[in-house]
Amino acid sequence: MLEVKEFSAGYQGNDVVHDLGFHVDSGEVVMIIGSNGAGKTTLFRAICGLLSPSSGRVLFDGDDITGMPAERIARLGMRFVSAERHLFPRMTARENLLLGAYPGRPDPETLSIVLDLFPRLTERRGQHAGTMSGGEQQMLAIGRALMSKPRLLVLDEPSTGFAPLLAQATYEALGALRKRGLTVLVAEQQVPLAMAFSDRGYVLENGFIRLQGTSEELAANPGIRSAYLGVT
Amino acid sequence: MTANILDGIVLGLQFGLLAAGLTLIYGLGGVLNLAHGQVAVTSAMMVAFAIDAGVPGLPAVGLGLLAGGLVGLFLDLTILRPVYRLRGEARVLLSLLLTLGVSFIVDGFLNWRYPMKALTLHIGGGAVEILGVPMRRGSLVASAIALVIFAGLFVFFRFTSLGQAVRSVIEDEEGARLVGIYPKRMLRLILVLSGVLAAVVAVTRSMVTPVNVQSGLSITVFALIVTVVGGLGNVAGALLAGIILGIVNVVAADLIGTYISLIILLGAAAVTILIRPAGLLGVKE
Repeated sequence: MLEVKEFSAGYQGNDVVHDLGFHVDSGEVVMIIGSNGAGKTTLFRAICGLLSPSSGRVLFDGDDITGMPAERIARLGMRFVSAERHLFPRMTARENLLLGAYPGRPDPETLSIVLDLFPRLTERRGQHAGTMSGGEQQMLAIGRALMSKPRLLVLDEPSTGFAPLLAQATYEALGALRKRGLTVLVAEQQVPLAMAFSDRGYVLENGFIRLQGTSEELAANPGIRSAYLGVT
Repeated sequence: MTANILDGIVLGLQFGLLAAGLTLIYGLGGVLNLAHGQVAVTSAMMVAFAIDAGVPGLPAVGLGLLAGGLVGLFLDLTILRPVYRLRGEARVLLSLLLTLGVSFIVDGFLNWRYPMKALTLHIGGGAVEILGVPMRRGSLVASAIALVIFAGLFVFFRFTSLGQAVRSVIEDEEGARLVGIYPKRMLRLILVLSGVLAAVVAVTRSMVTPVNVQSGLSITVFALIVTVVGGLGNVAGALLAGIILGIVNVVAADLIGTYISLIILLGAAAVTILIRPAGLLGVKE
C-alpha cells in the first residue's frame, strides 16, 4: 500500500533522515521505533506532504505521491495524525470531527464508530477542542482522521503526553480498528505498547534504518530489549 | 442622544461590513488589503456608470457586486501571488506595500478621468419614526441589508461545511491541510467574498451619503481601525467594534465636530489596543 524508496528529507538542505526504504502492506500495522530526535517526525512530515523530501520516492497504492502537498495526499486516503495534533481550537469537538470528512458529507455510521471507540468525545462534543485535555485532544485528532474512512492512518507518537492508562486505551481503540482492516503506520517511543499492536517494525537511529523485522523478532533482539523495552 | 446612537448604529453596521472583509483575509492568509476602500469605490463607480448607461437600479447594483468580487479575484490571481510565497511578518509587510500601490493607482486613475463622479442611490419615501426619532428610509434600508448579510455570514460560517472549512484554515492551517482542505482555494474564495462585501458597503453607503471618487482612502482607514479594534480574523468582533466605533464617531462629531471625530476614533482604537492588544474579541496568539 505504501512504499518508500531511497528517501531523504530534512530542513534547509540538512538531511535528517537518509536513504530510507520501507513498505506497509494492506491490512498491516507497521511501527517505526526510535528515540527522541531519531527523525521519526521529519520522516512522517515528508511522507505526508508537509515537507518536501530532498530525494527518493513515495508510492501510495502504486501512485507516485512524492512532493505532493499534504491536502492532496489527505484526499487520496492517507491521513496523518501529527504529534502536535493540529486541531481547530475554537471549534467544538463535533465540528472538528465533521471537518474530518471534508469535502464529503460526514457519514453517520463512521461517526458512531468513532464515538464508540472514544466515548469521551460524545461527552465533550460541544466543547471547544482547545479547552480539552491532552488525551482527549489526541482521541479527537485520531477520530477526525478516521472520519474520512482513510485507507492508511499515519500516527506520530499517539501516546505522547498521555497518562499510561489513556495510552493503553488509545492502543486498544487502534486494535479494534485494525480488526476492521485499517492499515496503520505508527511512530512511537513507548515501544512496548506499539509492539503489542503491530505486525512489523523498523528501528530508526540518527536518521538511518538500523534494523527491521516482525514484532516478535524485534522483541527478541537483545539490543532492542535493552534500548527500548527496558529489559536488561 | 437617541438620534445620535441610532445614526451611530447605521454607520457602525457599514463599518462592520467593511471590517468583516478585511479581517477575514487577514485571519485566513496573513494579508492586509490596503486597497479595500478602492475596491468599494470601484464597485460604486461601476454602479454609477451602469445607471448612466440606462441600466435599471437593481441590475446596476448586481453589476457593482460582480465588479467587487472580480476585483477581489484579480488581486488574488495577480499582485498577491508573490505575497503568498512569503510567510509571517514578511507576508504582511509585502501585502501592505503592494495593496497600497494598487490603491494609489486606482485613486490616481479615477481622480484623473472622473474627478467629479459620485454614486448616490435615492431610496424613496418619507422618514420613518424609530424610538421617536425620524430616520431616513435610505439609512434603514442600508442597515437592514447589513444585518441580513451579517446573519448570512453567521449561517455560512456556523452551518455550512464550506464555511467551516474556511474557519478551520483560520484556526490551524496545517490542521486544515491534514484533513484535505486547500488553504489557497479558501483564501481565493474569501478575497472574492471580501470584494463583494466592499461593494455592498459602497452601495448601502450611497443610500445615506454620496460615495465619490475620493472616498477610497477614508473607507480603508475606517475599515482598518475597526478591524484592529474588533480583533484580527474575527467577524463578530468586526460587527461589535463597528457598532461601538460608529456610535463614538457620530456622538463625537455632534458634540465636538466632524474633523475632530476621526481623532477621537483613533484615540478609542488606541485605548482598546492598550487594554486588549488582540482586540475586543481577538484571541492572543
